[in-house]
Amino acid sequence: MRAISAALLRVERVVLIALTLAVTVLILLNVVTRSTGMALFWVDEAAIYTMIWAVFVGASMQVRLRAAISVDLVPMALGDTAKRVLGFVVDLLVLSFALTLIWLSFIWYDPIGLAQAGFDFGAFAGSTFNFIYDEPTVTVGIPKFLIWLIMPILGLTLTVHSIANLADRLTGAAGPVLEDLVAS
Amino acid sequence: MVGAAFVVLLLLGVPIAFVLAGTALFYIVWSDQTLLLQSFAQQMFSGIESYGLLAIPLFMLTGELMNEGGITKRLVSFASVFMGRTRGGLAYINLIVNTLVASIMGSAAAQMAVMARAMVPAMEREGYPKPFAAATTAAGSLLSPIIPPSMLFVIYGVLAQIAIGDLFIAGIVPGLMMAAAFLATLALIGTLRELPMGSSLSLRERLIALRNGLPTLMIPFVIVGGIVAGVATPTESAAVASVAAALLGFAVYRELDWRRLPAILMRTGLNASIVIFIVAAANLFGWVIVYEQVPQALAAQLSALTDSPLMFLLIVNLALILVGMVIDGIAALILIVPILLPIAINQYGIAPYQFGGIVCINLVLGRLPPPVGAGLFVMTAMTGVRPGAIVRALAPFLIATVLVLLCLSVFPGLVTVLIR
Repeated sequence: MRAISAALLRVERVVLIALTLAVTVLILLNVVTRSTGMALFWVDEAAIYTMIWAVFVGASMQVRLRAAISVDLVPMALGDTAKRVLGFVVDLLVLSFALTLIWLSFIWYDPIGLAQAGFDFGAFAGSTFNFIYDEPTVTVGIPKFLIWLIMPILGLTLTVHSIANLADRLTGAAGPVLEDLVAS
Repeated sequence: MVGAAFVVLLLLGVPIAFVLAGTALFYIVWSDQTLLLQSFAQQMFSGIESYGLLAIPLFMLTGELMNEGGITKRLVSFASVFMGRTRGGLAYINLIVNTLVASIMGSAAAQMAVMARAMVPAMEREGYPKPFAAATTAAGSLLSPIIPPSMLFVIYGVLAQIAIGDLFIAGIVPGLMMAAAFLATLALIGTLRELPMGSSLSLRERLIALRNGLPTLMIPFVIVGGIVAGVATPTESAAVASVAAALLGFAVYRELDWRRLPAILMRTGLNASIVIFIVAAANLFGWVIVYEQVPQALAAQLSALTDSPLMFLLIVNLALILVGMVIDGIAALILIVPILLPIAINQYGIAPYQFGGIVCINLVLGRLPPPVGAGLFVMTAMTGVRPGAIVRALAPFLIATVLVLLCLSVFPGLVTVLIR
């Protein structure tokens, strides 16, 4: 699992760099087109979605890199053994959230219900009152459920990374370091 | 019960975003509102569907580019042109550069790290006690939450649903007040204790420093000017500033290397996601706050205590410094604003701008005092000075900050004067 997590982290790094660059370019495009009176109406929304994808990719990475903000008042006050046990519990809680997110995405996207409706979005909405597949984006011109896909993806990547974190705790191995990843 | 779950998760050391999302999940199941489960992931997503939040990665990118591009040392020599042979000259320069950098970096922790590296060794060489050098630098970083473009203001604006540009403008007078208060504190210390003299520069050195430093001033000018003039949104001016920073670094100073760009973008993306992910999770936590009517319950208790806006603000000041000591500024802001802002506006008639300024200064102030002040430990790690020694040297600046906070609490006009 740690090998998968390491490979995933490298992919996430590239994706995060690309998305961050894309956000900047989109906003600049907006500035330029707006000031020349040729405003592109879809740029704002595209930039927001790009940023959101970047945020959730980064959210997955920060779990593996242990870079997220937490209150370390109690862990700092504990001895080494107690600190390790506590760290294990925390990782376990993050893993359980990741698995829950996969399940929540499953009941939201409801692939089984969709299959039963013969992959007909209208029939699916009619029978389940779940309108996920009918929600449009305002200006970008693609269905919103494609953009929401980052949520189940986040569930999956978080699961991989938090299992790798747990494996690190059990073996006492040091996880990947942010500066190494930045420099790679 | 839900409150207990929240506190336990927080104290265990669970990352704050997961504390918020986990508590919301616990609440949904506990209160048997399982219908909400289907929209859980969507709620998390929609919490950050906000144009204003785009400013955060862009400001962070500007800060990273400026760091790598050698901005700080040019600002230091630029500022020294104006100080010359003054008692405590380098200490003033430290504060002035901090004020300028604050308008670029927008993050107290990053600013503290950069400035500690740039200024503390230089001050030590000129003969300042190291704890005093560290304390001056730490005090300077207190300016970052209030001088535009403050990251805390961007998030506050999104949470409070008010224009971030107006918030930036509102921060100008309080920010200058803070800077002036710190300079006055330095002057006072300088007369009481013998601070080292600044070294004087030749005319030629001054001209070179001016020529090198002037272009860097373009960045704060682009950011603040664009917003104040109303021609650009904070997000747009952040994007323009990042281009300006890249141009300076790549073309003018030639200290940036294209091969460093992926690393810069990576750090930007990750740091931005650390902040914005908490905002996303806080949107879930918002369910708990709204359904459980937390603000209403707290308001009822507060109104039994006082009906004076000033008393309310004083209570808030005290409470926030305590919260800021335990929880990082941005995370604390995301937690607190949805609860306290409705009370401030509805029950005490306080303008959201005044409230925002006070909250943001408080949360950064809380980073400095012991026993847990995160900023204090950043400083200790950067300089090797013991926390106790920094705190003693820092005390006059903390007192100055508290005085400014009191002023802002008593005179709301100071914050709102520049807003049209």
